Amino acid sequence: MVLGRWLGAALLVCFLTGLISHALQDPPDWLTPHLQSRPVNGYRVTQGLHVISGLAAVPLLGAKLWTVYPRLFEWPPVRNAAHALERLGIFVLVATMLMELFTGLLDTLQWYPWPFPFRQTHFWLGWLATGGLLVHVAAKGPLIARHWRRPAAGLPQRRAFLAAVTAAVGAVTLTTAGQTVPFLRRLDLLAARRPDIGPQGLPVNRTAAQAGTVTVPADWQLRVDGPQPYQLSLAELHQLPQYEVELPIACVEGWSASARWTGVRVADLLVRAGAPAGSGLRVTSLEVEGPYRVTQMPAEYAVDPLTLLALRVNGEVLAADHGFPARIIAPNRPGVLQTKWVARLEVI
Amino acid sequence: MSRWLRAVLLLGGLALIGYGLAGLLTDSYITDPWGVLVWAVGAVLLHDGFWVPLVCLVGAALARGWVLRGWLVVAAAVSAVALPAVLRDGENHGNASVLPLPYLRNWLLVLAVTAGPALLFALARRWRHRPRGGHPAGGRPGAGRPGGGRPGGGRPGLRRPTKRPADPS
Repeated sequence: MVLGRWLGAALLVCFLTGLISHALQDPPDWLTPHLQSRPVNGYRVTQGLHVISGLAAVPLLGAKLWTVYPRLFEWPPVRNAAHALERLGIFVLVATMLMELFTGLLDTLQWYPWPFPFRQTHFWLGWLATGGLLVHVAAKGPLIARHWRRPAAGLPQRRAFLAAVTAAVGAVTLTTAGQTVPFLRRLDLLAARRPDIGPQGLPVNRTAAQAGTVTVPADWQLRVDGPQPYQLSLAELHQLPQYEVELPIACVEGWSASARWTGVRVADLLVRAGAPAGSGLRVTSLEVEGPYRVTQMPAEYAVDPLTLLALRVNGEVLAADHGFPARIIAPNRPGVLQTKWVARLEVI
Repeated sequence: MSRWLRAVLLLGGLALIGYGLAGLLTDSYITDPWGVLVWAVGAVLLHDGFWVPLVCLVGAALARGWVLRGWLVVAAAVSAVALPAVLRDGENHGNASVLPLPYLRNWLLVLAVTAGPALLFALARRWRHRPRGGHPAGGRPGAGRPGGGRPGGGRPGLRRPTKRPADPS
């Protein structure tokens, strides 16, 4: 019962943070104008929580299923129609929970041994799992209510088992959460990333070699399209007023790392193009292909003074893997939308 | 829990399941929903048909003391999270910042470090429950006692509660 509460809470956290991530990364048209660029660390926190509670759910789910295993063989298997539906609901819940934790864990390693696309499947199965949880809570409602306040029977074995599961959740969390929580970084032993390992001390999701942007054309110019279109060379960009901001790269895979970015305010570039107030932005990368070669930035982000077309990171010129010659960096935004190797900005 | 709340939860849950199922079946990227079903059923069969029986066998046959069982619970959780990284070590598609750590070493390290407190705990219990007054054969230590303190859950009828052995002195 206690396990179920914590597991249910972990599933709900995963579902809600997953919806937030989906809304930020792939917003439906009606939602786009309402997306907010604050809080600065919003996505870092929600997606960090998504992966932390998903990993914590691994021992919780294992323990919960172990305690109810004998019920799998209850006799008769089906008593009546309602009982059959309840067991079917439990099958949906268990199957989708196992799938969500398994595919989510392997996604953080960028390992996809299955024949279906990860992101869409993980998203839809999340709805099934949460629906399965609600049906399960409805079916077990009286039992849950009866045990909610009653002091737990203090069987030593039960206490020992719960202590072991708590220790397991603690061990898993402490050795992985350092990929996003700064003060746990030294304990980051088992996570797929370390926030300080990568080119220029920062991890990378897609390298320049993978994107085909290792060498940038010598005559590269930033093209800005709007009512008054113009082009700027890299030297000219460096001569514009430069700003320095401290912003995180926060990835959907649950790691995040803060860095000092220096560059030109996107808002300044838009004003120079004669963009009317409330304009959004379409950003095109030099990369030849990829689902995020072209991204859209809502107006709220484009006017934010923290949103930069960054030319430097931590005091150094951007490495190819971090988007040389120029990349977008904005607050409260999934990493895949922080477009690298920017070639063109369009006022929309 | 009131009937109304239960009804709302039930209908809400069914609605979410329906929405998820419809999305899964109509998503243009998911060309083969049967593949998803096969993997989901496979996951349940593997978990309930292989993993849990294995846990029960190991628990019943090898791990009698609850300190050892507790550590095995921790070890299983750590391994479930670490093993994919250990198996995948080095496969990063040319991206050196993916899986940059020595995962095999770290996995063994975490297992060893978590075994430390478990061992200390077991020794402390043994020390506390040691036979006194020059009767080393009397009173078996709680931690290592066969059948004592199997961690809770499932079938309490099969287990004896852990009682402190009576002080023989």
